[in-house]
Amino acid sequence: MEAEVVLASSPTDAGVSCWDLHTGAEHLRYKSCASSPHGLASVAGRFLASSQLRDRKSSSGSILYWSWNKPQVEVRSFPAEPIKALVSNSQGTYIAGGGVSGDIYFWEVATGKLLKKWHAHYRAVSCLVFNDDQSLLISGSEDGCVRVWSLFLIFDDARREEARHLFEYSFHEHSLRVTDVKTGYGGSNAIIVSASEDRTCKGKTCSEDDISLISSQHSIKSALYPSKAVTCLASSADGFLLVSGSEDGMIRVWDTRTRNITRIFRHTKGPVNNVLVIRQPQNLNPRTSANSPVSPLRRHGLTLPPPLEKFANSPDENAHAKVFIGPQTTSNHLLDSSYISVQTMEAQIKELQQQGSSAAAEVDIERLKSEQLRSVQMIQQWKKMYENLHQFCVTELLDGTHTESANGPNL
Amino acid sequence: MAASEGMYDVALKPKLLRSLLREYVPDERHPFSNPSELSYVVSTVKTHNLLSEWASQPVEQNVMDAWKSAVDSWVHRLLTLASSNLPDKRWAGICLLGLTCQECSSERFLSSYAVWLDKLLSLVQPPVVSNFVKAASCASLSDMFTRLSGFSNAKKDGSSQATRVIQPALKLLNEDSSAVVLVGIAHYSYVEAAIVSKIMSGKCCASVLKKLGYGLSLLPKSRGDEDSWSLMMDKILLYINSQLNDAFQGLEEEARSAQTMRALLPSGKEPPPPLSGLAASERTSDLSTRRPERLLGSRISTLMRCCCDMLTSSYPVMVPVPVCGLIALAGRVLMVDGSLSSSSYSFMTTLKQEFICSEIPLLQLYSLEILTAVVKALSSQLLPHAAGIVQLLNEYLRTCRFPDLKIKAYSIVKVLLMSMGIGIAIHISQDIVSNVFIDLELPVGEKDGKSSGVQTKSHAGLLSESSQRKRKHSIMARSSQEQPAHVHLEVENTHSLTPISVKIAALEALEALLTMGGSLRSESWRANVDHLLITVATNACKGGWSKEERNIFLSGDPTPTWADFQLTALRALLASLLSPGRGRPSHLALGLELFRRGMQETGTKLGEYCGHALLALEVLIHPRALPLLDLHSSVNDFKFLSHKSRDTVYPSVDRQIPKYQAGTLGKGPAEPESEDDDLNENWLGNDDESEIQVTERQQNAHYTTDPSLDELPSVKVATTDNVPEKNETTVSASGPNDKSMADADDNMSESPHFRNITNQRTGALESVELEPVKSDVISEVGRGSTSTSAQHELETKNDGFTTIVERISAMFESDNEVSNDSLPDIVDGDPDSD
Repeated sequence: MEAEVVLASSPTDAGVSCWDLHTGAEHLRYKSCASSPHGLASVAGRFLASSQLRDRKSSSGSILYWSWNKPQVEVRSFPAEPIKALVSNSQGTYIAGGGVSGDIYFWEVATGKLLKKWHAHYRAVSCLVFNDDQSLLISGSEDGCVRVWSLFLIFDDARREEARHLFEYSFHEHSLRVTDVKTGYGGSNAIIVSASEDRTCKGKTCSEDDISLISSQHSIKSALYPSKAVTCLASSADGFLLVSGSEDGMIRVWDTRTRNITRIFRHTKGPVNNVLVIRQPQNLNPRTSANSPVSPLRRHGLTLPPPLEKFANSPDENAHAKVFIGPQTTSNHLLDSSYISVQTMEAQIKELQQQGSSAAAEVDIERLKSEQLRSVQMIQQWKKMYENLHQFCVTELLDGTHTESANGPNL
Repeated sequence: MAASEGMYDVALKPKLLRSLLREYVPDERHPFSNPSELSYVVSTVKTHNLLSEWASQPVEQNVMDAWKSAVDSWVHRLLTLASSNLPDKRWAGICLLGLTCQECSSERFLSSYAVWLDKLLSLVQPPVVSNFVKAASCASLSDMFTRLSGFSNAKKDGSSQATRVIQPALKLLNEDSSAVVLVGIAHYSYVEAAIVSKIMSGKCCASVLKKLGYGLSLLPKSRGDEDSWSLMMDKILLYINSQLNDAFQGLEEEARSAQTMRALLPSGKEPPPPLSGLAASERTSDLSTRRPERLLGSRISTLMRCCCDMLTSSYPVMVPVPVCGLIALAGRVLMVDGSLSSSSYSFMTTLKQEFICSEIPLLQLYSLEILTAVVKALSSQLLPHAAGIVQLLNEYLRTCRFPDLKIKAYSIVKVLLMSMGIGIAIHISQDIVSNVFIDLELPVGEKDGKSSGVQTKSHAGLLSESSQRKRKHSIMARSSQEQPAHVHLEVENTHSLTPISVKIAALEALEALLTMGGSLRSESWRANVDHLLITVATNACKGGWSKEERNIFLSGDPTPTWADFQLTALRALLASLLSPGRGRPSHLALGLELFRRGMQETGTKLGEYCGHALLALEVLIHPRALPLLDLHSSVNDFKFLSHKSRDTVYPSVDRQIPKYQAGTLGKGPAEPESEDDDLNENWLGNDDESEIQVTERQQNAHYTTDPSLDELPSVKVATTDNVPEKNETTVSASGPNDKSMADADDNMSESPHFRNITNQRTGALESVELEPVKSDVISEVGRGSTSTSAQHELETKNDGFTTIVERISAMFESDNEVSNDSLPDIVDGDPDSD
């Protein structure tokens, strides 16, 4: 099973705690975080982001980034207003934040650009969630309203003007503020479940106009849990472990099959208001990441993106917006097919055998040429030999006659 | 060891290598007659890893030494061969050297690659005339660099060595002699100039152009920084744009060029220097302008392809993609339709228009490629730009008539839908559907009253596409079964007007749409699309699975496109059936029949897919909600979906809630003790065997009425006055009672709630219907009023019935107690208020 970690934060300045879900070992504690409810997000497992509760005085909000292997805050951004809910899409491309004024801010992570900002609710946005294919954003607000936004429409100027309203669906089921919204798998039929302070929990699907209600099981929590109120829940990837954060500062891990507590973590004395369960990031542990030499992640992933911008760009600037595409992870393993000489050779052999191409003919010609050269040499050699022989014979003959004549009298 | 391991023995390898050397590798003295022997050598070396000098287990030193010396002599032989006077031997040496670069051990490679490099380099330089030798040397060099790039410590040395390669390589390029472009590690500007001038010269054939473009796209990689990539991209885009200015003069609005330019280059920013090598090529190409348009087409398309390569191939660092510029450029090309704008007629000779029009499809194809590459490269980051692309594609699909281009456009739509999800699907569904309808040509309102002349004409259309046999079949079918075949025939005929490949692409786009957003705001098109898909699938499969199929399969006629079309049609049909809608899929029975028949095509892809489809549809036929917890590991002691569970004694009250829900699948806990167990059993047995379309209505009736009526399902429904009405409303899932019923269900635990939703969607509303119906029965019995048709049975079985009713009402009370205790937050109405 893949290692999973539990992250927890609280509204008091107690940082973000981090434990291994299955072994219970505690990892780094990220410092100086006073997160708002639903204000803690892991950006595609690359780094940790959290929107901060601020004093009432300050008009701007604050969003902090931590990289996994350092406890200190690395990047600080200051949006135009305090951000309550914060969420990132699963690829970590975008971060959406819901402001206290009811505006939703939509940033691009890689550049920090504020791509869009729109007025979503009459009161503060209390929770945000992407649907399973990351194309819809679902927001819950303190005005008791849950709205579904198509990000495509948000960015399509032409269609946006035609549309009567920006949202796709708007559910006014709750009389008090919405405290949580969740959705699951199921594509266009996924069920959106919202919990509210009016002590109801409602589910709906987008695909039917008359929303089908499945209501009211607020009580699982209270039935299961002792003492203090549970503020947040998360479940492990396999769906069997449920993690709950409670106002007493404890994080309890439950096995849903046996309904027993399997583990208890202690965050702080203050209430826990965010619990996340994520896959263990690769470079969570500083020791192990130091040991692995030049991993690509170390080179590219560890540099955190720039802070989120406060204001949107002018449309003119947007026309030249560049999108950064990251280095794809390609294995260094060389495939056999990347070697070409054997293929070339085979092709050339074929050519040679067919004797059709000019190149093959060239080889033949050259061979013939050299053969001719050799033959010429040979001829010359033979000639020379012949001449030598001839010479020899002649001299021999001459000598013979000479000697003969000389010796004649002797015979 | 040697004896035991046979052909895997390490000691064998040096021997093999030596014998290869002796027998097959040419040497100085003997003439080299048969080049195919070389390929035998290569395959032997590769199979047995003869050059690797590495054994999986430690072996004796002398074996390794023998091997080492064998490889030494191998290398020595190759080098002598490579410097031989005879070109064929030289060629053989070079080829084998390339193989050695690839196969030999790392130590050997690192220690001796410099020597080999010198040798190979000397072979590409001027005194060598044979092109064969040059090409082989380039290939071997390329392999050497490929291997070298695997060693990080030698890379630096390698790149310095590589600079020495550049000059000869460039020379080769200029000599137009070799298609092998060395691009691994290259000296930047020279190569750029050379490649660009090559592309511009227009003398190369298509495959060489492709390689050149690829080479150009790899160039920035040699530097590996962000700037060189974006500089190259900018240069190429600007050059394409300026070329388009010339080409499209008079074919588009004047403003378009400036508009694109603005998107490519922010105002006030210095334009990058033009592509180097352009100036030189302008001079040379002036001489060879036989057909300037042809040249333009090949240049621009090569550069566009180069852009795609740059976008899709990996790059070591993050690079900024000028998305807007790319989209604007693609849009500019896609929006040109070759018609002259009236104001600018004078600019354009008809001749030039003709030429340009012949090139436009090619340019548009590559523009679509660019869009595809953008969509692929950006993936989730595309979001802010998706609207622009969608708009472009919509307009283009409306006007485009070329099959290839349409296919490409559809495939982009498909990828967009899959990657951007529901959010995009709900907004572009209407456009896709209208485009697809045009391409699939469902005849609307012209089923009757067609003259015979039209029919023969469409038969001719059919003829042009499918086989002769097919036509005969259609005519036969037509003559044999006059009216029934009429409609289908017409559909089939009109089909053949667009090529199958386009229809496949259209169906795929539709499939993607149904997969992503089939149930969201689909009221306006869903029914039409479902109907279209079942018609298309029926028609597609009709030909293949009737008498005709045997002919096709026996005659060995592959008809791959038709089979593909069938498969695609079935895929889209499955998506249409599975995609959640407002009620039961109306064509389920027809679809199942198609899949069942398709599954009999054993051993084909189609049969395989049909099996998958039937599996996927099974949950639609038997809708059920499995319990959340695994029964075997949990403490729960009841068996779900098991007939025996009816007699289980329920130990505690809180168990009863899930069990009650479980019972709705066919066996309520309420009736087990009634006297009609057998009938009940029978009925359940019947249910299993009966058709798929046994609805939950029957199951419902099973609760409401005496089970003795079960043999007559139609009577059952009419047992009480209220029941039919209830059934109607619940099946339609939209009546005013629906909500109250759902409310009535409020006391149920959480998991059944989700199940209710599921059930409502699939049209199976058992659990929702259940309670109101029961309360009807209760009230009726309480009043003592009985309905006419059920009167007799009610009287005769009154005893048993009242016990059931008592049990039901008792259980309701206990339910309420339980839930009201444990669930204090309920605000919605209680079930008996109905």
